[in-house]
Amino acid sequence: MALRAQRAAIGALLASVTFCGAGSACELKIGAPAVLSGPAAQWGIALRGALEFVAKETAQERRLVIGGTPCTVSVKAIDSKYTAEGAASAMNALAADGIAVIVGPVGSPEVTGMKPVALRNRMVAMVNSFARDSIGPRWPNVFHIGPGPSGWAGPIIDEGRKHYDFSSVGIVAPNDQGGTDVAGVNAEIFKKKGVGVVEEYYQRGTTNFAPIVTRVLRSNPGAIDLASSPAGDAGIIIKQLRQAGFAGPIFRLGGPGFEEIARVAGGIEVLKDFLWYEPVAMDEGLRALEKKHQDLMGAPRPENADFFRWVFAARMMVKAAQAAQSIDKPQAIADAMRKLPVEDENIGKGYWIGQQFFGINQEMSYPFAIGQVRGGKVQDYIHAAAVKEN
Amino acid sequence: MSNQASITRLPQARRPALLGGYEWATLCLVGFAFAVPVLTRNPQILSQTNLILIAATAALGVYIMLRMDLMSFAVPAFMAIGGYTVAVLSLKLGVTDAILLGVAAFVMPALCAVPLGWLILRLKGVYFVLVTFVLTEIVQLLLFEAAPLTGGSNGLVGMPAVTLFGIELMDNSQVLLTTAGLAFAGFTITALFTRHFRYEFTAIEKNDVLAESLGLACWRYKALAFSVAAGVSGLAGFALVNMLLTAHPTSFAPMSSVSYITYTIVGGKGAILGTLAGAALLVTATDLFALKGELSPGLFGLLIIVVTLVARGGVIGLAAKAAGRMRRASPAAPARVAPIAAVQARGVKS
Amino acid sequence: MDNLIATGLIGISLGSQYALLALGFTLIFGILGVVNFAHGGFYVMGGYVAYYCSVVLGLPFPVAVLAATLATAALGWLFETLILERVIEDHQATLMVTMGFYLVMATAILLLFGPESPEFSFPITGVWRAGGAYVPYANMVVIGVCLAAIVIVYWLIYRSGIGRAMRAMAEDRAVASALGMRTRALFPFAFALATGLAGLTGALVTPILALAPHVGDPVLAFSFLTVILGGLGSVAGATVAAFIVGMVEAYAAVYLGGSKGALALFVLVLLILVVRPQGLLGREVRRA
Repeated sequence: MALRAQRAAIGALLASVTFCGAGSACELKIGAPAVLSGPAAQWGIALRGALEFVAKETAQERRLVIGGTPCTVSVKAIDSKYTAEGAASAMNALAADGIAVIVGPVGSPEVTGMKPVALRNRMVAMVNSFARDSIGPRWPNVFHIGPGPSGWAGPIIDEGRKHYDFSSVGIVAPNDQGGTDVAGVNAEIFKKKGVGVVEEYYQRGTTNFAPIVTRVLRSNPGAIDLASSPAGDAGIIIKQLRQAGFAGPIFRLGGPGFEEIARVAGGIEVLKDFLWYEPVAMDEGLRALEKKHQDLMGAPRPENADFFRWVFAARMMVKAAQAAQSIDKPQAIADAMRKLPVEDENIGKGYWIGQQFFGINQEMSYPFAIGQVRGGKVQDYIHAAAVKEN
Repeated sequence: MSNQASITRLPQARRPALLGGYEWATLCLVGFAFAVPVLTRNPQILSQTNLILIAATAALGVYIMLRMDLMSFAVPAFMAIGGYTVAVLSLKLGVTDAILLGVAAFVMPALCAVPLGWLILRLKGVYFVLVTFVLTEIVQLLLFEAAPLTGGSNGLVGMPAVTLFGIELMDNSQVLLTTAGLAFAGFTITALFTRHFRYEFTAIEKNDVLAESLGLACWRYKALAFSVAAGVSGLAGFALVNMLLTAHPTSFAPMSSVSYITYTIVGGKGAILGTLAGAALLVTATDLFALKGELSPGLFGLLIIVVTLVARGGVIGLAAKAAGRMRRASPAAPARVAPIAAVQARGVKS
Repeated sequence: MDNLIATGLIGISLGSQYALLALGFTLIFGILGVVNFAHGGFYVMGGYVAYYCSVVLGLPFPVAVLAATLATAALGWLFETLILERVIEDHQATLMVTMGFYLVMATAILLLFGPESPEFSFPITGVWRAGGAYVPYANMVVIGVCLAAIVIVYWLIYRSGIGRAMRAMAEDRAVASALGMRTRALFPFAFALATGLAGLTGALVTPILALAPHVGDPVLAFSFLTVILGGLGSVAGATVAAFIVGMVEAYAAVYLGGSKGALALFVLVLLILVVRPQGLLGREVRRA
């Protein structure tokens, strides 16, 4: 095992080199634990794409100037495999590279695994995930990219009740953290609005949902909510719900992925009456962002719409670094972040929220959209204002 | 290779050495991990050493069962039992002493393995492989169903740091020390255990029917080995939970058993050093490949294929062969029945 | 009552899918003594080849299914001759290379087609209904193909010269080759037959469910369950077990719920094995 001794020596050498080298070039290093393999790969690819775009944008438009020197942004994305250890190990690798500014990861297990590492290495991070404990007072420098269903489920349910009459809903979600956390919050909100709820969980990895569909339809619900079931699963469930003769409205109070759901289900007609949460409304602002990506990167944006939110997150991180006049002091960047207004040139204005749900006011809330298919026809997005805590 | 040679020599040497050369070398290397935090504070190296040790300790569960030609997919199941035992003890009962927790992480899975072993050890070959796979799936579902105890899909979060003689072990290097202690315990137990029963295990590996007919109570050794393998896996589970400060079902995914088997076989199942070498090589490779994003699983797959095709007997087998060629040792040709004769010579325990 | 029948029909649909997959899996084990971890990869590849032929190239669906079957069989043949054959005597090594090959296949598909599901639907969309019970027509096609495949495989293994030779090879490779059987041709043939079946299943089933690079993962787990239950290497056992697994999955999921249903299925398989370690219809176990 001379190998390990050698690695230790090389590592020590590298560490000392970076230590001496810091300060000469001005470069904000953003690290991303991003899932790049397996079923969730598209989410991580959208995250990486957003960061690379913001890096280029920042350098080209001189958005980060510290002490008069224009700074560049470098991005290092490491596969976090949608697991807790994957994210922890990716974070350690980033820490070893002297990276203290993190944007990502995407999923609940990953966020669970990365937070202790972020805490131990005093990093500042902007994370996603709809978990109940995504952020909290125990991780003071961890911010949340956007509200979970506690923020937006209510307005979407109200919109649905305007068009459809139902008094009970069946919620279907996978039996892991990504599924149960969202389904649980959705259930509470449906109940608050006087809708009876049946929750049904399926084993992650299920491919044929006909039995689950039969089970959930036994209670004869007036509507179905697919919560955060992955897009592919949601598509099959809808196809099989319709085959089983279910004719009511279907909600997906979970996340983006409408196009993929429609493709898997077999078309818009199959969706028939469908409402979903769209994290950002596709309007002029976003089309301009799309075009900018095309111009700057010479390629279309990643297909997953989470791209937009990650651009927002990365820009906020750059702004915080600018405000703190620092590229390597995570505490200063975090302090500056708390004072920044939640605002993006393409997405719009919002608020910091989260005190009620997480006990810490570090969640970005910004305008979102309600997507709708009614009678087999896609409707225009309904813009919803950013949710505010009172 | 070399231990087969020593088997033929057995009848003369009635009292075998406590540990062989490979075992000593392996323990020294694992022990060296204690020094890593002194040599460097680079989080990457600390984290890599940590991950390698956890992976290697987990893979020991596979190594022990492979001594008897049984390929086990049950490692994540027992890691989960060990890890969750620790999480429950520290969160619900406030136990933080590393030694107490370590003992619990070993004993609990080892005890669970006794009735399970009774159920499944009568199965052979591929049946054993498939059933241990099913077992791991079952444990995963039980973690979800037993939500009041295990936290269900959210796992158990927010454990306090472990303590040793009242000192908190919290930062990167202290977490590595805890892991190194657990790994050292796991490797020592495995080395002593497999060394002590090496003739019995080899007899079972070569031909268990013959061994049984000669009076060796195979099931007893199999059950004992299954239980020890479970205990060692439990230690790895503790180390993993301690690193993440979280007991989470995804840490014990059924498919991770594939990795542990890969470490053992790619490293070389002939000696305990192979498990460590395989874990070190593949964890490092995984880490390098992770930078390649989407390509990473494919590169890992390619590496497995190449090593399997090129290096039969694993990395250690290859090294031993190369060393043997250099020494131009006369090729030892151990007879197939040698281990059984050895067991008889030693006096059959039944 | 309606529910009871509807669930049974779902169980039959599930069973026919599992049977198609398990047939190939059990053939590979029965004849070559190899647990093929790459089986799910051939299933996914079948789906993507069919998708490419029918959606991108615009060929008729049956032609696309045929192309998928042939392409997966061809890749299976190549894999067997070029890689698997070199380590065929060492069951742990075969496990490693099939596992490695699965990772390579899954990555290749992800790189070629991207992570998201494409639009790939079965050309027949209607649903047959009677009271509360229903069966989509597409599932009936799968059931029909499944029955045909079972008959063909049976005939191949038990009634044809190739089948006799393959069974002889399974008994003892050395003796069979000494008797002049062409090992070199037969093993790849058996492997190709099995992977072709997996590809055929993928081509037919992914448009009914969903096509994505990762949909092969659960295939492995269910093939495992089915062949454990049926008795490794037994074609009849795999067929019977596939329908049992389908039925148990359907009824358990409907009456116990998703994750308790899966738990019930796994525990049932474990218990059956404790009582009958060789599986339901397994006789002598090949020691591998």
